Order: sequence, then C-alpha cells, then structure tokens
Amino acid sequence: MASRREFLQMGVAALTLPISAHAALSTAPSLLDSEPMATPLYKIVFDERFSSSRAFAEEAERLGTSVHGITGDMTDLWYHDLYARWKKGPAAIAGLTAHGPIFCLERLAWDQRMRVIFRADHRYRADGSIEHALSGPATMLRQAAALSSEPDWANRMASLVTHCPANRSQSSQSNVIGPTVKHADDPEHLISWVIAPIHRA
Amino acid sequence: MRVPPGVSLTDFTEALKQFEDVVGKEWVFTSDEDVDLYRDAYSPVWSEEEEPIPSAAVAPGGVEQVQAIVRIANQYRIPLWTISTGKNLGYGGSAPLLGGSVVLDLKRMNRVLEIDEKNHYALLEPGVSYFDLYRYIQDRKLKVWIDPPDPGWGSPVGNSLERGGGYTPMHDHFDAVCGMEVVLPNGEVMRTGMGALPGAKTWQQYKYGFGPYATPIFSQSSLGVVTKMGIWLLPEPETYLSGTVMVWKHDDLIPLVDVFGGLQNSGIIRGTTTLASPFWLGPPNPELDSLRASGSVKDLEDYAARKKMPYWSIPLNFYGPAKVVAAQWEHAKERFSSIPGATFQEGPSYRFPLSAEEQARIRDTVPLGIPSLQIFSLLPPRSQGHIGFSPIIPMDGEALLEAMALFDRVHRELGSGRAVLTVLSSFPRALVIIDLFPVERDVEKNRKMRALYRQLIKEAAARGWGEYRTHTTFMGDISNTYSFNNHALRRFHETIKDAVDPNGILSPGKCGIWPKRMRKAEA
Repeated sequence: MASRREFLQMGVAALTLPISAHAALSTAPSLLDSEPMATPLYKIVFDERFSSSRAFAEEAERLGTSVHGITGDMTDLWYHDLYARWKKGPAAIAGLTAHGPIFCLERLAWDQRMRVIFRADHRYRADGSIEHALSGPATMLRQAAALSSEPDWANRMASLVTHCPANRSQSSQSNVIGPTVKHADDPEHLISWVIAPIHRA
Repeated sequence: MRVPPGVSLTDFTEALKQFEDVVGKEWVFTSDEDVDLYRDAYSPVWSEEEEPIPSAAVAPGGVEQVQAIVRIANQYRIPLWTISTGKNLGYGGSAPLLGGSVVLDLKRMNRVLEIDEKNHYALLEPGVSYFDLYRYIQDRKLKVWIDPPDPGWGSPVGNSLERGGGYTPMHDHFDAVCGMEVVLPNGEVMRTGMGALPGAKTWQQYKYGFGPYATPIFSQSSLGVVTKMGIWLLPEPETYLSGTVMVWKHDDLIPLVDVFGGLQNSGIIRGTTTLASPFWLGPPNPELDSLRASGSVKDLEDYAARKKMPYWSIPLNFYGPAKVVAAQWEHAKERFSSIPGATFQEGPSYRFPLSAEEQARIRDTVPLGIPSLQIFSLLPPRSQGHIGFSPIIPMDGEALLEAMALFDRVHRELGSGRAVLTVLSSFPRALVIIDLFPVERDVEKNRKMRALYRQLIKEAAARGWGEYRTHTTFMGDISNTYSFNNHALRRFHETIKDAVDPNGILSPGKCGIWPKRMRKAEA
C-alpha cells in the first residue's frame, strides 16, 4: 500500500498544476443544482489503508482541498494540526474514515463549538450493493440521490462534502442504495462526514 | 425543556437567566441539540427511560463564576453535575448520574497556572487536558513528564479526582495530587494542604498542611468543585527500558506475581504493567478459547510449549539513568529466575529527549508520557463503546486465578461467552482486574449486560473484592457492597454531605451518596 506521501505524490503527479475547486467543477458536473455558498473546508481527512478513502481524498484534492492521511490513529492530525488550528477559531473539516477517527474528532470539535453537520454511513451489503445512510442539510441529501446509480461513490462523496452549503437551516435524513465494487482493503463500514461551526441563535 | 427533579419550571427559568447573567448567554446551553452533547456515548442505558439526560449545561470561565453558579443553584435547589473535560468514557462521560441535573462544565477553565521544573509539579485548572499540558511542556522544552491515561484527551484534574491511572512511575494519579482549591457547596473558596496558609510557598510541594488532611475527601466526591489542583510530575528520565518476563506453566503465575509484588514494593519496578496470557487474557481467540474449554491444564501447557507461546508474560518498564535501569532489569531477571524455565526478552529502550523521527516510529507512546488517541483506532469496527468492571484484588497469584475463573464462570452462566479480562498493576500492593463489557445501542443487550455486571459485583464482593471506580449506572450497586457495620462508611459520608451541602446541589448520588432530601427515594 502506498504511504501517505507516496499517495499524495501520485496525486500531485497527476496534476501538472494545482486545480482550484471552481476549475475542477468546470470539468466535472457538480452534484448541486445551483451553487449556494459552500462551507470552506480547512482539511479533508482520509485513511490511507482504505481504497475508497484514498479515492475520496484524491478527488477532494483535485477539487482544491488540502488533505491529511491517517492510518486509523488520528493523534498526529490532532496534535500537530487541528489542535493549533482550532485554538485560533473554528475551522470546518471533512473526511471519509472508519468509526474511531470521527468519533474522536466529533467530540474534540464540540469543545470548539462545532458539530457534525453532515454524515453518511456507508455499509457494504451481502448482495454486492452499498447502503448510504445520510443525514445533513436537505440540499445535500437531494443531490445524494445520484449515489443510487453511481459505483464510484467515494468520488461523489468528495464532491458532495466539498460543496456542503454554508446555510444549513434544514436537516434531514435519507437512505440510498447503490451499486459498487467492494475493494479488498475497505472495511464493511465507512463514514463520510463534515464537521463545521454552529451558528447559535 | 427538561427541568431538574423537584424544581418548578418558573424557578428553573429564573435560575437559567441568572446563570446567563453570570457567564453570558452563550455559555448556558438549554437547547436539545446542545444538551444532547452531554449524553454519555458509552451509556449502558442508552435511550432507556433511566438514561440520565441533563436539563442544561453551564460553562463558567473562572472561579468567581463557579461561586456565583453554586449560590444560584443553592437558591433554587438545582442539582449540578461537575465535569472537567467530560471525556471519561466508560465511567459516565459528561452525563450526570441524576437525570435533569445541570452540567457544570469546567472546560473553559483551562489554564496551566504554573509548572515548576526544579521541584517537578504543576498547578492546573480543571479544563486543562493532557494534550494541553503536554504541549505546554513541549513548547517550553521543560524537562518534566506527564502521566497520561489511555486515551489522553481528558483532564489531569478530573482523572486524578476520579483516581485514574497511567503507566509511568507517576501512574497512581491521585497519589500525585498536592493541594487543591475548592468551591464549597455554599460558594465559599477553600484551599487544602499548605494552600490554607496565606502566601504559602509550598502549596504544591507538601501535601498535608496541618490538621486533618482534607484533600482526599474531594476525590470521587460531591463535596465541592475543584477549581485548581497541584500535581506532581516526573523528572524527565535519561532512559526507558522495557523487558518482558515469560513463564511457561499454569502454576507459574503464583511465583510470578509474588516476585513482581516484591519488586514493586521495593521500588525496583515503578511503572504500570499488564499481565498477558493467550489463554486467559486479552481479546477472544476462538481456537485457544475452545482448547481451554475442552482441555486440561496440561493440554494447555503442552500446546503453549509446542507453539513456543508463554503461558504467562509480564512486561516491565524501567525509567531512569541508563546504569540504574540496566541494574534494575538485571536484578529483576535474577529474581524471576527463581521460577523454573523463566525466559526474558529485552526491549525496546529509548534515550530522552526523543527526536521527532524517533517518536514517530514508536507505536505506543503512552508509557513514555506522550498522550495519544490511538486506542480509538484499535477498537473493533462495530464497537459502540465499552465499560469495565474493575475490582481490586490482592497481589497474589492464587487470588488472580480465582478471580479469572469466577469471571469466566459468571460470563458463561449468563450466556456471554468468555470474559475479556485485563490485569493491571496500577496501584501498589494490589492488582486491578478489568472485565470489559461492550455497550450497544440495543436495549435488550444492554439489559443483559447490566444483569451480568450486577451479578459480578455480588460475586466479587462475596469474596472480598470491591471496585475502585465505576460507571455512574453502577455507583449505587458498588456503594451497597461497602457495607461493613451497617454501612457505617456511607452513613459517615452522608453526615458530611448533609453538613456541607444541606441543599444537596452538588452531584447527587455520586458514588452512592445522596443528599438528605433525595435519600429516601433513592435508597
């Protein structure tokens, strides 16, 4: 398996120049009907051990978001990065990880007045399909309906979370079952998520 | 809106308004969205009627605000449940024991007030986390170590007050406490130990002060809100060396524990260790579990010998000057060599300070005083959390075998397979045996788990083994077992509680101690 550095080097090599989110969207159809203002993401977190997570990060990076790889343990991400960044103030992050990292990050984010504002539990099913159980802004969930026919769901999720709307007045839930190919190194359960500042009345 | 038990909505609304006047509106949390964050993620009563969900939370920014909140709570008889960082999952997290309590969340009080590198101590506020303290020390390149538990996201003040443990020579966290500042239930500020002497120069250097030693009554207690605490730190050691002792027969456990206890009591072994056995301890292994269930001790010993698998092993951690550490390990090997066939494995060893590259290569940094969150990545993928049943048993191999067999039997009788046990040497002259229970989001599974847990409490108590700490759900059960002379100790605690907290506002029910006005209903 490629190390985080190797993975990023491969990702960078595929791009001759950094591509901004808007430039990327001009070549890849957006999941969003219209383009409401997106929550700026400080960083995308991915787990180097899992194919889907790597694909997610690669797409997020292509869309112009900085990525940080972990191998299950997110201590380094916390101590050497988020700890200092969040001391300066809330900064939204997103990721595709197993349960452990998001469980930790969610609780650490609470202390910084942030919340998980979008979450999608991806569970592989015995029939070869994958179930996406989503909760978050209704506008995002509407766009997630595309997952019902999208085998490259991790790429789609990257596009979705990098366009998480800043205005999140309405939250909803939905389940989508779609086709997929399960990679041997993917666990049965992965979670896409966005952690962002809350706006209290 | 949830309302504390016995408090009218009118009074509660007025109290919340007064809390807001003290701390600012942004630091009083009443919406379901905010209050739900204080639910216990590892609750064994999740979503059941008895799950204790708070009514609100208030987060003061300093000791004067704590005093004001306590006075308001007294006026309206609002129960407060104090948390530091609220991360002690497995013991209740940030949720109260009494549903409807207001969580007094001290995470904003997060200043490292002092670190003395010469005398190796720190003075901390309760919202300081182990990561905060570690970073503070690293940023200043101070030659002191902290002793984080695993995981290390909690608070040194909170963990010490709850008598948690770590892995370095400072592993008994309450033993490292030296001096406190406490807001009493009437809102008055008190300092313990030398802190009672105005202008004291040794508040964090001499624990006892003069007269009755008051500091310990605020541990696992509901008698005050600790707003400052001194803790002793470890001088950065020159080296660390780990050596593992392996023995090959079932009955070798008895001399193994005897020798270990002697070395620990002599100060030769100073760090916490974890006993290992493929047959008895650690995660289930279907092949070995089946072998154990069907085979004799001799079969197991033969299997272990064939597979070159020690029946018992114990890693020993040494900290100090290289020459001293080497001599300690040599001495330990001599002593353990009295067990026929004992073998030894040395390593790893480190010299401090570590470079960033060296540190990055170390898988488990916690015994080196470096806080970590790695443990969350090691949990099973479907884990919803766990709690531990953790009685203190004698430092004695026969007692340990008896305890392991008992736990195993109770688990099997109640249909939960084999017990998943860990044995730790967290405290001198005794062992902690931890029986881990998964918690679920399934009401029926949690009910069965609680029944098993309560059966273990009874069976352990019948053998003279009591828990050192427990989840809020079981605090009453554990308290009931400490019943010598018709619960004389609990009645003594209740007498103190009634005297210093007559309105019973602080952490009602904590460790089985209820204020007078709630006692009948809960007893």
